[in-house]
Amino acid sequence: MPNIAVFIEQRDGALKKVAWQMISEARRLADSAGGEVWGVFLGPDAGPAGAEAAKYGADKVFSASDDVFTTYNSQAWGTALATFCQAQNPDLLMLGATAMGKDLAPTVAAKLGWGCVSDAVGLKYEGGFEIRRPIFAGKCFLDVAPASGGAVVAIRPNAFVPEEKAGPGAAETFDAGVAGLDLKAVVKSVEAAGGGKVELTEAEIIVSGGRGIKGPENYPLIEKLAESLGAAAGASRAIVDAGWVDYSHQVGQTGKTVGPNLYIACGISGAIQHLAGMSSSKCIVAINKDANAPIFKVADYGVVADLFDIVPPLTDEVGKIRS
Amino acid sequence: MKIAVCVKQVPDSETRINLAAPAAQLDQSGFTRILNPYDAYAVEEAVKIKEKGGEVEVTAITIGPETVKETLKKDCLAVGCDKAVIISDPGLDGADENAIATVLAAALKRETYDLILFGIKAIDGDSGQVGILVAEKLGLPHVSTITKLDLGEGTLTAHREIEGGKEVVEAPLPAVLTCQKGLNEPRLPSLPNIMKAGMKPQETLTCADLGIEVPANLVTFKMYSPPAPRGECKLVAADDPVAAAKELARLLNEEAKVI
Ligand SMILES: Cc1cc2nc3c(=O)[nH]c(=O)nc-3n(C[C@H](O)[C@H](O)[C@H](O)COP(=O)(O)OP(=O)(O)OC[C@H]3O[C@@H](n4cnc5c(N)ncnc54)[C@H](O)[C@@H]3O)c2cc1C
Ligand SMILES: Nc1ncnc2c1ncn2[C@@H]1O[C@H](COP(=O)(O)O)[C@@H](O)[C@H]1O
Repeated sequence: MPNIAVFIEQRDGALKKVAWQMISEARRLADSAGGEVWGVFLGPDAGPAGAEAAKYGADKVFSASDDVFTTYNSQAWGTALATFCQAQNPDLLMLGATAMGKDLAPTVAAKLGWGCVSDAVGLKYEGGFEIRRPIFAGKCFLDVAPASGGAVVAIRPNAFVPEEKAGPGAAETFDAGVAGLDLKAVVKSVEAAGGGKVELTEAEIIVSGGRGIKGPENYPLIEKLAESLGAAAGASRAIVDAGWVDYSHQVGQTGKTVGPNLYIACGISGAIQHLAGMSSSKCIVAINKDANAPIFKVADYGVVADLFDIVPPLTDEVGKIRS
Repeated sequence: MKIAVCVKQVPDSETRINLAAPAAQLDQSGFTRILNPYDAYAVEEAVKIKEKGGEVEVTAITIGPETVKETLKKDCLAVGCDKAVIISDPGLDGADENAIATVLAAALKRETYDLILFGIKAIDGDSGQVGILVAEKLGLPHVSTITKLDLGEGTLTAHREIEGGKEVVEAPLPAVLTCQKGLNEPRLPSLPNIMKAGMKPQETLTCADLGIEVPANLVTFKMYSPPAPRGECKLVAADDPVAAAKELARLLNEEAKVI
């Protein structure tokens, strides 16, 4: 009967949605295989995290408060999670595959001597865990199992569906073992790139632009459609390398691997490296004037047309539907 | 100053994986191999530090079969690394991230490096773990996913990419860094430099030479499977763009139920 611990990530008190997706999936597993679901929170005010975790079915929510949990620090946060796992001995520690989670997962795994699985999208328990993850940016999937003992697993945002199902969410505190740590690498400041934009890897909808937009002055067309959908704006490498948009927007084998509910590709040909990064999206739309573009091979819906004719009225239409 | 750059040879990003059904093994024998694109940023950063002057030695370290030598010569030695260490051991076929990190840590302990650079991830396994695991095994601080690096006297300042922005991180040397696109623009090797690279020192070692046993995997690879096949593409008539946009929005709302 496995116990699963789920890290509830906060930055400046803001909680990451992926935590509720993970708690729901852990709840579903626990309901069929037995065991408990535990939330783990590091930060000053565990109240909101605890309440939210209970809504999705957490049995317990463990928290630790210390000044070092105000700003992210690999060493301190990694020590805290490893200390927690040593004391409570969960069979699995799940973290979101976010900037923080990707940094923490191997850090904690190494401290514990546990196996570590990156960017997982599926989880099964049949006497032992089996974890599914994309490799080659999604050209293939690999199922892995912890060889022995526990494992740390980073879960891709939106891989699991959140489902409200009240649990006890009993609040407990734990000693994070961070007192007197000699911190080496330290975050001096955090700079935001510009407010309010939806992050690619966490987005439920993504609208991406490629070379078909013709120039950087037209990227706002993509951003406007994204905005009307509450979506993130992505890009092909062609327009990132051309300097039209920042690299943080790049989707593909050497950019972000994404799996949103809806991916709209505008003026993107669908090169294998781009497809690799987005082909696991649940619904794919292609807008491209070349009917032979490879993007149509993976698309569920296609419009063979000039994107400059389609994207503006589409922005209006989805705006009407969503309001 | 001594800098180590850990690099991996990976299948080209053009590679198609032709897997018809789930299989216990993935046959990678026919794949064209290149330097992992993220490792090129690590190599370039090390070479740039060397070019700023002072006594800097850059060592490229890799674990892989003998065939990695060509990649090491062309993409590491010919662009400015001083020497190469190749760890080639049949026992490491099918090694997981922990086993790779254990062997690299043993290789890195043979010298005292001030800076150890990695790519953020290898584009075959897409793990993004090895650099951080090595840092922990060596007891060194790490900064992952860096897009800018400045070295001071025994310290470094790096930009670390996070959602919607960046963290500015300071760390003492020695330290481990994992390199992201945006850090620099990797140069291409010139033909004369490729020729000369053959003269640079290259050492090939086994686990036994490093004084360690082949490390055990902490994760067992069970099954490889192809992505689920995608259905037919439904084309929306586009004679009238406004009507097409309307129809597409309707389909996404009512049929696919995604907006
Ligand atoms: C090592 C390596 C790694 C790579 N990694 C990535 C990666 O991570 N991500 C990535 O995206 N690429 C990656 N690439 C690049 C990839 O091979 C392609 O070059 C790139 O994806 C092409 O971008 P694109 O589709 O925007 O441009 P193009 O291939 O030039 O396609 C533009 C498309 O726009 C259409 N178009 C033009 N005008 C209009 C219009 N007015 N209306 C509608 N459609 C129009 C055209 O028909 C065409 O299909 C990588 C390449 C290499 C070698
Ligand atoms: N076999 C290897 N030999 C040397 N370095 C490696 C090897 N595998 C991974 N690395 C390094 O670790 C980084 C992250 O790899 P990974 O964790 O496998 O995604 C790579 O970008 C390389 O810098």
